[in-house]
Amino acid sequence: MTSAAASQNIQADAEQLTGARLVVQALEREGVEVVFGYPGGAIMPVYDALTQARFRHILVRHEQAAAFAADAYARVTGKAGVCLATSGPGATNLITGIANAMMDSAPLVAITGNVASPLMGTDAFQEIDILGVTLPIVKHSWIVRDPADIPSIFAEAFHVAQSGRPGPVLIDLPKDVQFASVRAPRMPRRVALYAAAADPAQIRRAESAISAAKKPLLYAGGGVRIARATGQVRDFVRRTGIPAVSTLQAQGVIPNDWPESLGMLGMHGTRAANQAVQECDLLIVLGARFDDRATGALAKFAPNARVIHIDVDAAEIGKLRDAHIPISGDMSAVLAAMNPRPPAIADWAETCHAAAIEHAYRYDAPGEGVYAPALLKELSERAGEAFVAACDVGQHQMWAAQHCRFSDPRAHLTSGGLGAMGYGLPAGIGAKLAQPDAHVCTITGDGSFAMNIQELATLKRYNIPLKIVLLDNSMLGLVRQWQELFFDRNFSEVDLSDNPDFVAVAQAFGVDAFRISRREEVSAGIERLLAADGPCLAHVIIDPMANVWPLVPPGKSNAEMMFGDNI
Amino acid sequence: MTQTFTLQIDRAEGSLQRLIGLIERRGFHIDRMSVADAGQQREVRLTVRARDEARCVDVLGRQIDRLVGVSRERSVSEPYQEGAVVCTA
Repeated sequence: MTSAAASQNIQADAEQLTGARLVVQALEREGVEVVFGYPGGAIMPVYDALTQARFRHILVRHEQAAAFAADAYARVTGKAGVCLATSGPGATNLITGIANAMMDSAPLVAITGNVASPLMGTDAFQEIDILGVTLPIVKHSWIVRDPADIPSIFAEAFHVAQSGRPGPVLIDLPKDVQFASVRAPRMPRRVALYAAAADPAQIRRAESAISAAKKPLLYAGGGVRIARATGQVRDFVRRTGIPAVSTLQAQGVIPNDWPESLGMLGMHGTRAANQAVQECDLLIVLGARFDDRATGALAKFAPNARVIHIDVDAAEIGKLRDAHIPISGDMSAVLAAMNPRPPAIADWAETCHAAAIEHAYRYDAPGEGVYAPALLKELSERAGEAFVAACDVGQHQMWAAQHCRFSDPRAHLTSGGLGAMGYGLPAGIGAKLAQPDAHVCTITGDGSFAMNIQELATLKRYNIPLKIVLLDNSMLGLVRQWQELFFDRNFSEVDLSDNPDFVAVAQAFGVDAFRISRREEVSAGIERLLAADGPCLAHVIIDPMANVWPLVPPGKSNAEMMFGDNI
Repeated sequence: MTQTFTLQIDRAEGSLQRLIGLIERRGFHIDRMSVADAGQQREVRLTVRARDEARCVDVLGRQIDRLVGVSRERSVSEPYQEGAVVCTA
C-alpha cells in the first residue's frame, strides 16, 4: 500500500463510527447524564466507547441495582433512567428492575449486550433471548440488526419510554453490531412527546356530575406524580373542596394538614379514607388503576359511587371497574379544563374531616423500645421539604407511607406494583444522584436490606451521601404478621435473628454507621444521620412483634378493617 | 362470545410473539388466527374468546392499541363513547 492510500484509509476510518460509539452518541443526544451499569463480555465495545462519553457511568455491584437506581432516577427527574448490562446473566439480572418499572410506569431504557449475531440462537456462552424473556414486562423492545439503525432506534426507545403512560423499553445489541463500522447512520426524526387530547364532551359531563354530587371523593393515584399534575390536583381540591384519598403511589399529592386530606386508602389505609370510599356517591379517579391492595374486595368497593375515571392510558379505564364517565388524556390538561360549579357538600366534607381527626394515628405507644411510626414521622419532619424517601418492601414501607410527611409524590419512591424487596438502597442511590440537594433517606428493613446490601460498596465508591434507616425486627415482619393473623400463628421461615451485625457490615464497606436501640436515642440519632456529610446508616432495633395497623384482611372489603393499639 | 380483530403489525422481531403473549396473558383464548404478508407489515386476523366473564374484550382492544407497531382496523373513538367501557362479556 502506498503511503497516500494508507493515509486515505486512515481518513476513511476516522469518518466511520462504530456501533458502540453511535450508542454513546445517541445517549448524549437524549441528554442522558447518568447511566447505571455493569460490564461484561458481550457489552465490552460499548464500555470501550464509554470512556469518551459526556455522561457519567455509575458502576453498581449487581445489575438489578442498576435497573432499580435508574428507575428511581427516572421517578425523581421524570426523564428516562438508563441501565446497561451484558448478555446472559447480566441481562437476566435486570429483569426484576424492568418489571418494577413496568408495574409502576417508570420510564426506563435498559440496554443489553448480546452474543454476536451469527451465534444468536445457538445457545452460545452467556446467550439468552432477553427480548423474548422480557416481552411481557416492557412497553417495547428492539434487537439492533443493522448498526446504522442505532440513532433512530435509540430515539424511538426514549420516546416510547417517556410518552403517554411511561414504562420500560429494552434495546438488545449483538456484539458484532457494537463493533461494526457505520458509514451512514440513519439519523432520527425528532418526535415531540404527546398526550392524547381528552374528549371535551366527557369533561362537561364530569363537571355536571361533580356539581350534582352529594358525596364526591377524589381517588388520586401514581398517575398524578407521573403526569406532574400535583399542582393541578391541589388547585382542583381548593376550588371544589372535595375530600381526597390517595394510593400508596400518591402520598404527598394532598398535604396531610389539609382538611380535605383523608390519607391513604386500602389494605393499610386510614379508617377515614376507607370509610369515605364506602360512602361516596361519586368517585373521581385520577391516574389510579383499582389495584387490589387499594380496593380490597372489588365488588364491595365504593358500592354507591358513579365513577369518573381520568387516565392517560385508555386501557386502564374499565379494566377492573366500569367508568360512567371515562376521560382518557393528559391529567393536567383535563383538570385545567374542568371547572365544575363547586358542589354543596359542607356536611359531607365535615363528616370526612371529623373522621380523619377522630381516627388520626397516635404516637404515644407504651414502652421504651423504638416505636417505628413515630421515628419515621420525626425523620420526615426534621428533614422537611427536602425529604425524599426511597423505601424497601415490608412493614417499614407501609409505616413510611402512613407516617412520613411528603412535600410531593416525587418525594416518595416505593415499589408499589411489583413490591420488590431490595429496591430501597439502589433507589436511594438513583434518587440522590438525581437530586443531590435533597435529604434522600433509604427506609429499609433487615430482610429487604440484605437483598441488595452489596450496593453499600457503590455508596462508598462514589461517596454518595445517602442516609439509611434500617428498621430491624429480626423478622420478615409482614409475612410474620400475616402468619400471626391468618395462619394461626404458625411462624414459618420468618425468623432472621441470626442477622449479621449491620453496623459492622456497613463499616466494613466504609460507610459510617451507628445503632439506635432505645426510644430516648431516636432524636439524637436522626440529628446525627441528617447531619452526616457522607453516607450513613442508622441501625434501629424495633419490636419483632410490632404490626402494621390498620389492616384490611386479604380478600375482604375495605369496610372490614382490623385495628391495633395505635388507632 | 368471540370477537375478531384485524391488525396490521410491523415485521419487527418479536412482534407476533408480543401480540400473542399479550392476548393470552390478559385472559383470552385464541380460537383462530391467520397471518399474511401486507408489504412492509403483516396482516393478522385473530378470533379470541375470554377465559372468564370478568374479562372485557373492549379492554383487550385498548391493550392491543398500546402495542408499538400494531394498528387495529376499528373504532378509534371506542374508549371515549358512553357505554363503551361497560363490559357485558
